[in-house]
Amino acid sequence: MAQDTSEMEKSLPATVRKLIRQFWRDVVSIYYANTPTWRWLKSGALVFLGFFAWMAGSVLLSVEPSWGVLTYVMAYGFLLLVWGPFTHLAVVPLTIRLRRTANHPAARWFSKNSGKVNLTIFFSLVIVFGTITPSIMMLEFSPSFSGDEAADFSGELVCNIGEEVVTCHIEDAEGVDTIEVRSGGQTIMTIDSEPYEFELQRSEIAETRSGKEFRVIFYDGDGTVLNRQVRLV
Amino acid sequence: MNPVTALFANDYDEDGFRNCSVTGLDIHRSAENHVKLFGLTAVIAMVVGGLFAISVALTRWELIGLIPEDGYYRHLSMHAWNLLIFWMVFMEIAILYVGGPMVLGRRLPITSVAKAGWVTMVVGAVGINWSIWTVDGGQVAPLLTAYVPLDVPAAFYASAVLFLVGATVAALPFFVAIWKEKRLGSSETLPLVAFGAFVTSIIAVMAILGGIAAFSYALIWKLEIINSINAGIYRQLYWIIGHGSQQINLLAMITVWYFLTHVVGGAVVVSEKVSRSAFILYLFFINLGAAHHLMVDPGLSAGWRIFNTSYAFYGAAFASMIHAFAIPAGIEAGRRQRGLGGGLFGWLTSAPWKNPVFSSTVFSIILFGFVGGITGVLMGQLQLNMTWHNTFATVGHFHGTVAVGTTLAFIGLVFFVIKTMFRRDYLSGTLASLVPYFYASAMGIATLMMMYIGILYGVPRRTSSVVRNIPGTDFSLSAAQPLFMIFGVFAVLAITAGALFVLVSVGSILFGRQLDRDDDAGLLPDGGLRADGGESIHAVDMRGTFALCLIFMATFVALYALNWFLLTRLWSIGA
Repeated sequence: MAQDTSEMEKSLPATVRKLIRQFWRDVVSIYYANTPTWRWLKSGALVFLGFFAWMAGSVLLSVEPSWGVLTYVMAYGFLLLVWGPFTHLAVVPLTIRLRRTANHPAARWFSKNSGKVNLTIFFSLVIVFGTITPSIMMLEFSPSFSGDEAADFSGELVCNIGEEVVTCHIEDAEGVDTIEVRSGGQTIMTIDSEPYEFELQRSEIAETRSGKEFRVIFYDGDGTVLNRQVRLV
Repeated sequence: MNPVTALFANDYDEDGFRNCSVTGLDIHRSAENHVKLFGLTAVIAMVVGGLFAISVALTRWELIGLIPEDGYYRHLSMHAWNLLIFWMVFMEIAILYVGGPMVLGRRLPITSVAKAGWVTMVVGAVGINWSIWTVDGGQVAPLLTAYVPLDVPAAFYASAVLFLVGATVAALPFFVAIWKEKRLGSSETLPLVAFGAFVTSIIAVMAILGGIAAFSYALIWKLEIINSINAGIYRQLYWIIGHGSQQINLLAMITVWYFLTHVVGGAVVVSEKVSRSAFILYLFFINLGAAHHLMVDPGLSAGWRIFNTSYAFYGAAFASMIHAFAIPAGIEAGRRQRGLGGGLFGWLTSAPWKNPVFSSTVFSIILFGFVGGITGVLMGQLQLNMTWHNTFATVGHFHGTVAVGTTLAFIGLVFFVIKTMFRRDYLSGTLASLVPYFYASAMGIATLMMMYIGILYGVPRRTSSVVRNIPGTDFSLSAAQPLFMIFGVFAVLAITAGALFVLVSVGSILFGRQLDRDDDAGLLPDGGLRADGGESIHAVDMRGTFALCLIFMATFVALYALNWFLLTRLWSIGA
């Protein structure tokens, strides 16, 4: 009995060590696998992993800004998008070729140590990017959209709804250049002078499920939409 | 022979049968011709929907901002109906005819009914397209859901009912074929592909009945036969077809996976019992999960929602896990039996990756699982739905399932059918091989971006312009611009890949080299369709599949944990 127990105790750590060794050998053999299929499958998987790490890091950082280590997760994912395919489409095939054909000592040294060199450079870049947090990695760059800030304008649509006619104007209009009155998908009129007063016949206003409805759209001088107000009659 | 009739010509004997040089099946011309008819119609629908993908993607990518707000919903409705419904359902009728009479070596029964079904479906589809496109005045485009009380044309609802009735009619020959097989044919159990097709058809009937009910209800209200309509009940009825149609897609796709991995990949069925049990689990549970569309609806209790979308749905999710193991396990076991294994993943890396039928199918399996499937289970939960509902991430999810997963499987099927039924070689083998890689990677990344945009920034769906400031407020989603740049570029690439698929497939059907009668077109796996001798399947190692499933589980757990953690950060109570 005691012998059985001690054999079990010996075999459990030995089994775990064996599994870990086997796992490491599998990882290394996958790293160096060089058929076209393997190259593309590894690259594709790493692109997906890269996007996931980058985005997951970004969203977690947005809810937990104090978790600064996440910038390194983001850096890992961001760099992996390029480094993963670069490694498996360029570095590993070059390594395999050099191992077979290289004569120069430097080339032979590189072919034996390319894995270590490659991963050292990669993880160094991860540390650098994770520390300096470039804005492109932090998704903080803005492509050239204008109008990022809220436009400075004011104006309230005030309407008097009569039996036959609806009369409206814009009160305290500032920063408004033009207004467009639309109903039923059509533009009925455009007014470009204060107080932007207009009249609508009820018959001009299109019927919807909720009743007769018209919209007034406010534009600034560049034609950018400032506001949209809807009225039911 | 004119070009159209030439498409439907093959070398049949006097009874109208021919023996397929690839699958070994005895195929009757009646089954084959109707498969071609429905399949070609599906591809036409895909082209129409794909054209509108251009306008929709280039509008949501606000740097381009192609269509203004007023026209956007019209384009979105055309895109949705043609791709999500017509491309899918026409192809699924074709799959029923393959899985039924073709696999069973029978004629297609009641062919006049099949034709009547096709005509009715086409009239319905054209009617839906026309009523969307001609919407004007105060009326609005329906989008996919046509929720009441939106002012949607009555002709739309009538056409939708017609289309669904047509699909039911078109499915009848399949049911008759199965009935004849069980009553008059062999007493053996149906082959797995036929069994899968049969379960698909039952789920389809459930879904279609719900759809007919929903659209008829809306129609009689539009025609003022009833005075008022309950929007909540319409939504309850609508989502029977709304999600039920997606479950038809899922089951049809899984049936195609089993079929194509067997024929071109050398897969075997590791356990018929387990795979069939998984289909039965789908039958009982999968349509209950449609309740996940009603998570924010008033009038439904939390208990009802949680039961249907969690407890009941996990019966279906378990079935999905079974297929997720069984299909790669089948490939691994079959290929190891043929001596094509070696190491952990040698069975996979030695597979025919240049064959677009194989690569489409495998990318469909991987991307449907990792991208579409996981996110579906996540956002189908009541609590997590609060962070996903009506965001652009929802759009990402269903592009992951349908636009990547099911579409890739059906692309593989079309490539298969070009060689086996149209008996044509590909116009360009290189381009044909490229299509699945190009489409899977571009659409996969576009889909990921949609999900990230929705989850990171809460960008809403079903709106044409939101990244710029919402007018009249300080609220800004402009932080989403960088990811929209990536989305826009990859969406355009994905559409290009889709166009390439249509060019290669249609070009091959029309101009590809005619294949000889006994030519297996290079489709069969090494060692032929059935491995000779070798170990019993139960003795074959499946450790590669086990490793892949562990990776899948790790991904699932990571995404699960991430989403629940984000939920806990959503509201700061007492902060």
